[in-house]
Amino acid sequence: MSDPQPIPSCCGTAPPAPGGSNPFVNGLWKQNPVFVQVLGMCPTLAITNSVRNALAMGLATTFVLASSNTLISMVRKLVPKQVRIATYIAIIATSVTVVDYLVKAASISVYKALGPFIPLIVANCIILERAEGFASKKPVFASLLDGLGMGLGFAFALTCLGSVREILGAGTFLGVPLFGSHFEPWVLFLLPPGGFISLALWLVTFTTFRQIKARRAARAAAAAAETVPAGQLVEVRS
Amino acid sequence: MSTPVPPAHAQPSMANAIRMIRVLGVVSLLCGVFIAGAHVTTLERIRHNHEVILRSSVAELLPGATREVIYGVEPSGELTILSDIEEGGSRFFAGYDASGKFLGVVVEASGRGYADVISAMYSYSPEKREITGFKVVDMKETPGLGSRIGTDPDFLANFKALDASLGHPITTVKHGTKKNPWEIDAISGATISSRAVGRMLEASASKMAPVIARNLNRIEQGN
Amino acid sequence: MSTAAVIELRTAPHLHSGLSVEEIMRNVVYALLPLCAYSVWLFGLSALLSMVTAVAACVLTEHLICVASKRPTTIGDWSVVITGLLLALTLPPGFPLWMVVLGSFIAVGPAKMLFGGLGFNAFNPALVGRAFLQAAFPVAITSYTPALALHRFTSFIPSTFAIPLLKAEPLTAWIAQVRVDAFSGATPLVMQKFDHVTTDTWTLFLGTRAGSAGETSALLIALCGAYLVLRRMMDWRIPVAMLLGAALTGMAYHLASPALYPGPGFVLFSGGLMLGATFMATDPVASPTTPLGLWIYGLLMGLITVVIRFQGGLAEGVMYAILLGNALSPLIDRLTQPRIYGAQAKEAAR
Repeated sequence: MSDPQPIPSCCGTAPPAPGGSNPFVNGLWKQNPVFVQVLGMCPTLAITNSVRNALAMGLATTFVLASSNTLISMVRKLVPKQVRIATYIAIIATSVTVVDYLVKAASISVYKALGPFIPLIVANCIILERAEGFASKKPVFASLLDGLGMGLGFAFALTCLGSVREILGAGTFLGVPLFGSHFEPWVLFLLPPGGFISLALWLVTFTTFRQIKARRAARAAAAAAETVPAGQLVEVRS
Repeated sequence: MSTPVPPAHAQPSMANAIRMIRVLGVVSLLCGVFIAGAHVTTLERIRHNHEVILRSSVAELLPGATREVIYGVEPSGELTILSDIEEGGSRFFAGYDASGKFLGVVVEASGRGYADVISAMYSYSPEKREITGFKVVDMKETPGLGSRIGTDPDFLANFKALDASLGHPITTVKHGTKKNPWEIDAISGATISSRAVGRMLEASASKMAPVIARNLNRIEQGN
Repeated sequence: MSTAAVIELRTAPHLHSGLSVEEIMRNVVYALLPLCAYSVWLFGLSALLSMVTAVAACVLTEHLICVASKRPTTIGDWSVVITGLLLALTLPPGFPLWMVVLGSFIAVGPAKMLFGGLGFNAFNPALVGRAFLQAAFPVAITSYTPALALHRFTSFIPSTFAIPLLKAEPLTAWIAQVRVDAFSGATPLVMQKFDHVTTDTWTLFLGTRAGSAGETSALLIALCGAYLVLRRMMDWRIPVAMLLGAALTGMAYHLASPALYPGPGFVLFSGGLMLGATFMATDPVASPTTPLGLWIYGLLMGLITVVIRFQGGLAEGVMYAILLGNALSPLIDRLTQPRIYGAQAKEAAR
């Protein structure tokens, strides 16, 4: 829906996952859906105004991702190519409907706070992307791990945003006051602009972190390259 | 999608189509079963959650209430007892204490606030023709400003005995200028939200109070 | 319409006006100084401290960002001083200083330097800073204090020294102690909007009323603006068009329902309209460049201001009107580009 990238296979901004890495860690960190792939922006911005909502949304998405990935991987060899997207959508929609009931059963107040965003998980492009990009090609267990990793990575990112917004916007963490009654809340962070501002801050943080790491790796590689032909280098210099 | 589809005149296309329909059919069927299963499993629990929330709200607004009856209001003004807690529409809750004595009713009201719809509940005493309590259920008013309609003790004190008889419309007045029992003293700095509460209560009370007055005997007995 | 002026702006030999950026900016600061002085006379030491803090914080932020990004410092062009002064002038005089510093940082950091500094900012930096503060601290930014309070030259408004990150104490008790006569902490716009009490135009003209530090006196703002216009350092079309737009819209509302909406006189001289139209809408970077575009830009901002005031939830709409105008100005520029000589023939040939 409001996710900017409706076609899953082409919306990742990061290069494809390096082969052979653990799918769980991959989703949680290296290919984090929010901080690296920048997917699923709609729930990321809309319902991270408190840690509780962010966690609930993250866990609901994790459930959908894990179950749809597993089921899709199970049926991957039975489904004709032409109807695979329809099949995936049916499976994802089922997972979302089930999670809708589960959240309602867990807490009505959380359900009301998340509002239309639970049914909208079905439109979150991470889910179809993982179905098409991973679960339709990989064995069941790996797909389950991938779904869990991606989902928890999403939940982690949402919680990061939710923490900034709740701590600054309300002076609380999970509803527990942190600074006493005299704290002046930065109401802005509870309002929609606060979502954009805190997302920007986290993206800057993560990108800087990745850049520093990449630079360090490049320097290490350069150093390694220098040490190997050391003899030649000395000759050139002399 | 981008997968090459066999030409339509080719012989295997019929078999292919049947296979597609079969797979989709089976998947849909299984999905249906899953959904039905989830619905049945969580039904009781969801109902229980709704009841807990309703009961705690009613008990908060009508201290001492241990039992409640949900009355639906038909468009004609007739009352029906609702058994399904999730059923929407025009309705109110009558509260009774342990000895079965009628305490008052709790009505749901909603109205446009500053940011979005404010939904609230208030208790109404048909005997005194007064609103005796008010509680915001859901709102998106500016945190720290308009949201004080749900927390500000001075503002909530307006609703301990707010005259809701039909002679005087409930009105919101400037902070510190409340003179009459049917006026609401606005929160200074949150005038729009305060006024929204006043308008919402006036609209709801002027609609519900006559219905309740007409059926008071029945409601007191709880049938 | 104004083709002569269009050609003047566009044809090839561009005459240098003889004014440097630094000179214009310095003169804008001179034009703001009377407003600052009057504001200190009205609101006392707190207003002075707020201005000093805002200017210092803005200058420091710009300097540090320049140093951090290894560029020569740009504080010498005076534009950052204007940002600081304007920010302070649009805030309530007793606004907590820690919030002033935060607003200054937002105004100069993300709103100006992130875009590339002077000449590249899409929005008026001071207003972005204020918009942030308005959204973050809605209570503090509407806590106004009366003008001409007692002891204003010997003591500070208590909220000025609120401890960083903590709330300022409510000012009600303090206002009751220091108020003179009927001066209350409510601004004329708030009184009009919620209580339908209209302040008389003369008071608005002189500015002896509650409000943001520098917005109160319509007369003084007009004089300072006239100085810049006479020295050809400001385009007169923007303030004139904005005020005209506001007056016409206000008049339409007033004629439709005189009991509910005040006349155009009140609309023009209350709130921050005069200050915004004269000193903020005229930001040369964030406004259109064609004369027709300037008229559209100004009229639109005037209209939006009044519509927000009368229909919206906020008492004042100048800030959002100008920010919206800034956002629209590239579009207005495109729509009002003068036709290039011979371009039509080329297009037809294609």
